[in-house]
Amino acid sequence: MTNTTTWARVKSPWVLHFNSGACNGCDIEIVALLTPKYDVERFGVKLEPSPRHADVLLVTGCVTQQCAERLKRIYDQMPQPKFVVAIGACACSGGVFDGNYNVVGGVDKVIPVTAYIPGCPPRPEAILDGVVKLLNALNPPKQKKQKQLEPPKETKPVVSEPEVIVPSQEAKPVIEETKTNVKQ
Amino acid sequence: MSNSKIDIVSIVESKLKDKVQIQLGQLGNAAVNTSNGLHRDVVKVMLEADEKTAIVAITGLDLGANLGLLYHLRTSNAFITIRAEVPKDNPKIQTIVDLIPGAAFSELEVADLLGVVFEGNPSSGHFLLSEQWPEGIFPLRKDVKANEVKLNPPPPEGARTPEIGRQVKIIIGPQHPALLEPEKFAVTVDGEIVTKVEPRLGYVHRGIEKASESRTYLQDVYLVERICGICNACHAYGFVGTVEKILKTDVPPRAKYLRVVTLELNRLHSHLLTLGHAGLEIGYETLFQYFWRDREPIMDLIELTSGNRVYSSLMTVGGVRRDIRDTDIPRIKTTLEELRKKLPFYRQIYTNEASIKARMQNVGVLSRSDAIKLGMVGPVARASGYDIDVRKDEPYEAYGEIPFKEIVYTEGDTWARMNVRMDEVEESINIIDYALDHLPTGPFRIDAPRNVPIGEAVCRLEAPRGELFYYIKSNGTANPDRVKVRTPTFANLPSFLKTAIGESIADVPPNFVSLDPCFSCTDR
Ligand code: SF4
Repeated sequence: MTNTTTWARVKSPWVLHFNSGACNGCDIEIVALLTPKYDVERFGVKLEPSPRHADVLLVTGCVTQQCAERLKRIYDQMPQPKFVVAIGACACSGGVFDGNYNVVGGVDKVIPVTAYIPGCPPRPEAILDGVVKLLNALNPPKQKKQKQLEPPKETKPVVSEPEVIVPSQEAKPVIEETKTNVKQ
Repeated sequence: MSNSKIDIVSIVESKLKDKVQIQLGQLGNAAVNTSNGLHRDVVKVMLEADEKTAIVAITGLDLGANLGLLYHLRTSNAFITIRAEVPKDNPKIQTIVDLIPGAAFSELEVADLLGVVFEGNPSSGHFLLSEQWPEGIFPLRKDVKANEVKLNPPPPEGARTPEIGRQVKIIIGPQHPALLEPEKFAVTVDGEIVTKVEPRLGYVHRGIEKASESRTYLQDVYLVERICGICNACHAYGFVGTVEKILKTDVPPRAKYLRVVTLELNRLHSHLLTLGHAGLEIGYETLFQYFWRDREPIMDLIELTSGNRVYSSLMTVGGVRRDIRDTDIPRIKTTLEELRKKLPFYRQIYTNEASIKARMQNVGVLSRSDAIKLGMVGPVARASGYDIDVRKDEPYEAYGEIPFKEIVYTEGDTWARMNVRMDEVEESINIIDYALDHLPTGPFRIDAPRNVPIGEAVCRLEAPRGELFYYIKSNGTANPDRVKVRTPTFANLPSFLKTAIGESIADVPPNFVSLDPCFSCTDR
């Protein structure tokens, strides 16, 4: 059951976008992601209007005094497990607006953040990259082990083609290493 | 312009001789200095003389012992600033809302941020500041260290007031699928019909005006540009243009043309964005995807000419920071030509498509006189037959040399507002084409002095959403003394609040999106 839900979550994460005081720059780039040139839906990402159905919360903009309380409430309404992505310099740290009177600061001052995508605004490609990296990070280690175990079993009888398989076996851990690096 | 013969300055002078003091050529065509109470008389004289008198903005200043108020008004052919002062310990002044209803929001803003009491326009609670902001502390006053202010604890969640009769209150926002930005609208409906709309602004209030006082002029360009991620080039130009007026520098001809190209590319991508977004709001998602697909090549052009998709800080005091390479011009032209070829298809959708007509025609109708009274700007004003376009009325940069049409519709409904933008897309392409064909040679920037002398200036420009207004006061130091920004959505919002009433709740989204609302601008 958990495997199925994880699989579903990774293959089709529902994201909720909340602007906690952004200048619109980051927001428009997120909307651009949904449109034909970038088309984030091919990764199964779906923009979801309600926090109660969302897996991932995309937050843009520094957190203003008025939004802090609301942001927390939205986060609390999301079901577990939930992930927060801070998009843009403002969401990461407050950006140019850090220290202004109506600004609390970055998103992590209010709710825990899973991934940071810096940039002002980050290019759609960068947001896409961040989302894909987050999805990879969601893959729990169990699944990875199973995947690693399977190929050797099949390859044992095929002795004549080690050159083809060895690189691919080596390649896999390398990819996974980058994935875990990325997670941190 | 139609009433270009009215000489508003001499009319004010003759009617209010001895009572007011007129400084010609300051803060627009003239600044009228008044003592307490007389500002209303000046407004009355102007309203009588010119039916197109409308409010642009009210700037509040901290002058030490007194608080200064600048009422910026636009007539059919002039821009007038009325000065008034109130003592800080008793900051009371009479409202002008009964004369010009469009001044309501401006007064509320000055009351919230500077603590001026407008008699006759009672403010209930905070307008832009948080509900937790303590009473009696006003962030724009110089002696207030606003970032050290301790907020009140959050109020306990109010119990829901029981609904009386058939009236039901629907809260839209701050997080809502139809809003890209956090802002709250409490819409009261009787059955399906909207009876009241109460906005709560300030969710995106970042205190940019105050912050700009603690940064240098150069740093401020980067700050004010981040007021809005859509019309950022306009904000950067607004700031830079005002500083250039204080410095009395003129930029080289090539810079003027390059600025026009940048500003028009800005308008192009913004209009395409809105035309698509309107499709989304009425459930026409294909249209949204089509428009945004065709917006991407424009974003590429912006990146090509300025170096970045969104923020490029191209505008700088004395010109622009980058030239357009001659080798890039053919690519810009072919991209624009491709977009031009697609326009008849889009135009036919916006004029003839049955679902667009059904959802937009006769929705949110705003009459011309209301548009003037409420101080509408940009496409919203032009859709109601109120022909204001700063590019035509007070040409800045190279706009005076470039031929283009001012698009005016008279229907005043949502449909007309979208069609104004549709037509302006083509005009923008024409302007860019012309500017590239006539690009003067020579430098694209001059070295402007770093030190800004004591002085003040205003600047207006036509942003995609309408007239954008900047006021800067310099005290001779490295940082500006006051920066005031009046953004187009701030001016246009009263239109929605008025026209939504009496219509179906289902008409709220198309009506609302036809303003092309931008709240990061509104709240700053
Ligand atoms: S990071 Fe930049 S683009 Fe994003 S909200 Fe902040 S200022 Fe705007």
